[in-house]
Amino acid sequence: MISKRFVIKRLLLLVPVLFGVATFVFAILHLSPGDPARVIAGQRASEEFVRQIRTELGLNDPIWVQYGRFLFEAVQLDFGQSYQIQRGQPVTEVLRYKLPVTLEMAIYGQLFGILLGIPAGLLGAVKQDAVSDHVTRIGALTGISVPIYWSGPLVILLFAQVLGWFPASGRIASEFSIEPITGVITFDTLISGNFAAFQSAAMHLLLPSLVIGIYSMALISRMMRSSMLEVIRQDYMRTARAKGQGSKITVMKHGFQNALIPVVTVIGIQFGSLLGGAVLTETVFGIAGIGTLLVRAIQVGDYPIVQGTVLTFAFLFTMVNLLVDITYSYLDPRIEQ
Amino acid sequence: MASDSADESSPTLRDYAMLIGRALALGAVLAGVAVPLVVLSGESVRFASEKVFAVAALVFGFSILGWSGSVFAGRGIENFQRYIGGRSDWSEADSRRAMMVLGSVGAGGMVGASLTTAVVGAVV
Amino acid sequence: MSTQTETEDVGDRGVVERLRASPFLSQLLSNRLAVAGLAIIFGMLAIGLYARLFIDLQSVTTSQIGTNPNVAPPSWLGPKEAQVVTDYGTWAYPFGTDIQSRDIFRRVLYGAWIALKFGTITVAASTVLGVGLGIIAAYYGDITDNVIMRTMDVLLAFPSLLLALALVAIFGSGLWKVVIALTLVYTPRFARVVRGAALKVLEDEYIEATEALGAKDPRVLVRHILPNCLAPITVQSTLNFGLAIIDIAALSFLGFGSEAGTPEWGLMLANGVELGLLTGDWWWSFFPGLFLAITVLGFNLLGDGMRDALDPRMRETVD
Repeated sequence: MISKRFVIKRLLLLVPVLFGVATFVFAILHLSPGDPARVIAGQRASEEFVRQIRTELGLNDPIWVQYGRFLFEAVQLDFGQSYQIQRGQPVTEVLRYKLPVTLEMAIYGQLFGILLGIPAGLLGAVKQDAVSDHVTRIGALTGISVPIYWSGPLVILLFAQVLGWFPASGRIASEFSIEPITGVITFDTLISGNFAAFQSAAMHLLLPSLVIGIYSMALISRMMRSSMLEVIRQDYMRTARAKGQGSKITVMKHGFQNALIPVVTVIGIQFGSLLGGAVLTETVFGIAGIGTLLVRAIQVGDYPIVQGTVLTFAFLFTMVNLLVDITYSYLDPRIEQ
Repeated sequence: MASDSADESSPTLRDYAMLIGRALALGAVLAGVAVPLVVLSGESVRFASEKVFAVAALVFGFSILGWSGSVFAGRGIENFQRYIGGRSDWSEADSRRAMMVLGSVGAGGMVGASLTTAVVGAVV
Repeated sequence: MSTQTETEDVGDRGVVERLRASPFLSQLLSNRLAVAGLAIIFGMLAIGLYARLFIDLQSVTTSQIGTNPNVAPPSWLGPKEAQVVTDYGTWAYPFGTDIQSRDIFRRVLYGAWIALKFGTITVAASTVLGVGLGIIAAYYGDITDNVIMRTMDVLLAFPSLLLALALVAIFGSGLWKVVIALTLVYTPRFARVVRGAALKVLEDEYIEATEALGAKDPRVLVRHILPNCLAPITVQSTLNFGLAIIDIAALSFLGFGSEAGTPEWGLMLANGVELGLLTGDWWWSFFPGLFLAITVLGFNLLGDGMRDALDPRMRETVD
């Protein structure tokens, strides 16, 4: 089972991860053509004013001094203030309200991916005949050929415009005003006991989560299928079946647990693509999370926000992989951590 | 392939230090050449210093990320390649070593860019 | 001079043998899905060329208000508003018009040209870079190989869209910059394929024979390795083509690609989502996306079929 030492060791890994990301982003911002002082001052500001801002930001110092100062401030979780999007607001403050939005959608999307992907993969492995193989294959190929920014509009048009089952965009119907506690809206509405609001929030979340989850489903089902096939072909499964130990179901159950192990580890790395997909999904569904925030920050050159957002993405990715590792050690107790 | 990496994964500490040292030196030299080159191409010393340092920092940050990523996602990557990627010669240890070398080049570049800027700045 | 011809002979024999061992083309053509993919690609190519030659770019880029009805649904559907009453039931605007009164049908056709053009450039550039890096890695081996390939692996582990966004942040926006960013994003895939194939070739004896003949020149090596990597490179390029079209359009969709007005699918989708979705004007986003998805599907079908034809064992064991 999982040891406390293992978890602490993994948490300590966050230090190099975030240090690496911070350095990476620092480099990107200094390689990009924009001038932060100009962004803050605005296009029409005088050269004099821009120069003054540059001095205030310390942009005239040698770059290694800037790098040192940047790291020193980052260690204290001070990522500066937004240049443009929410001018003057500390980046951490901006992110605090946007992060739960994305997190919520990503988690539900991931759940959809897992809950749909694993059965689909199992089905593909167990039911092996020409027809179902063919159908799975065409389905998978069509699936990867349809980008989120088209499947998103399509489901909005179908389920929101034509059928009217779900709302088209946003997070909750406008008649509800929910005081953000955690910012995770399905959680907040439940806590405050407002079930009508919860229902509205859940309905708003369903389509975007589904759209984002489909892609993770494609990978998970593929992984599940080939992993399960391998387990089925292994000798001990054959012998178990030949010896007539229990029903086919029992054998499959045992095989399933073994087959699940590699699938779980892959969920960790595909979470990154899920976050990439969140950027597109938020744009399609008009959800103001960190995905749309990142896109806007890059467009207008709001560097502190870019930094904060990318660091948040990396943090999320690392935490999900930690969770995956913990799950893994439960599934496969043979592994010594 | 397997026996190959088994031999490589147990170098002495001294070999390792030599490798890192060479990578650091390589980075420093590259940056030391790049800064004057950019200046000669007509840019200011400030500009040259900033861009060369940033490129080195990009390499440095990238490899730290790669190093820690190899540790925390190593198992996932190995499984991914086994079942989907179709290639199995990736190993966590190998990846960490490569990232260490690359990171040293980056770090060397950052130091080299800083030092050269001081020198070039004094000359120009 | 005699060395030269001899090495070529040896190289050619290798290629011929490989082709005979795996009847790639006949296998590929017996795969109905792959043939369908090929047909789609040729169809799109024809559309793209037609658009490039016969559609005036100006007429699908600039505002046509006054010339065409505004935000009209596909004309064969019937009238949605009074203003389009003259055209309904005809094929005047089969895909409708957008807020600038531009004919979406002709914009979508022109989009095929843009997608194929920039897709080709992206894939070709990353193939060249990948081939270079892969061969260098395989040839020099040891620490060079390790550093190059592990770097490629880390790059591959990044979500491609986020990595492309980071690069676009460095380079700035615009279709050409998007192409540069995506070229770097895709290079690792090719480097990996080429290195694997190159290693196999290096292990083969005929390279040893070549070296014995005194041809240790890397250029000779490239001449030997390339023909033998051609099949895996082609498969990778085909599969990657679909991805490139999706990602180029994605970055345009997010506002980093083509300039306003360009008849590019991603940008058209962005306009459709931003302005047409909530009012139910489905045709803005439906048709560009449909063409994009069909094109990508074509490349994926063909690539998938190629992979099978190249290595039928792969499907049993891996997929």
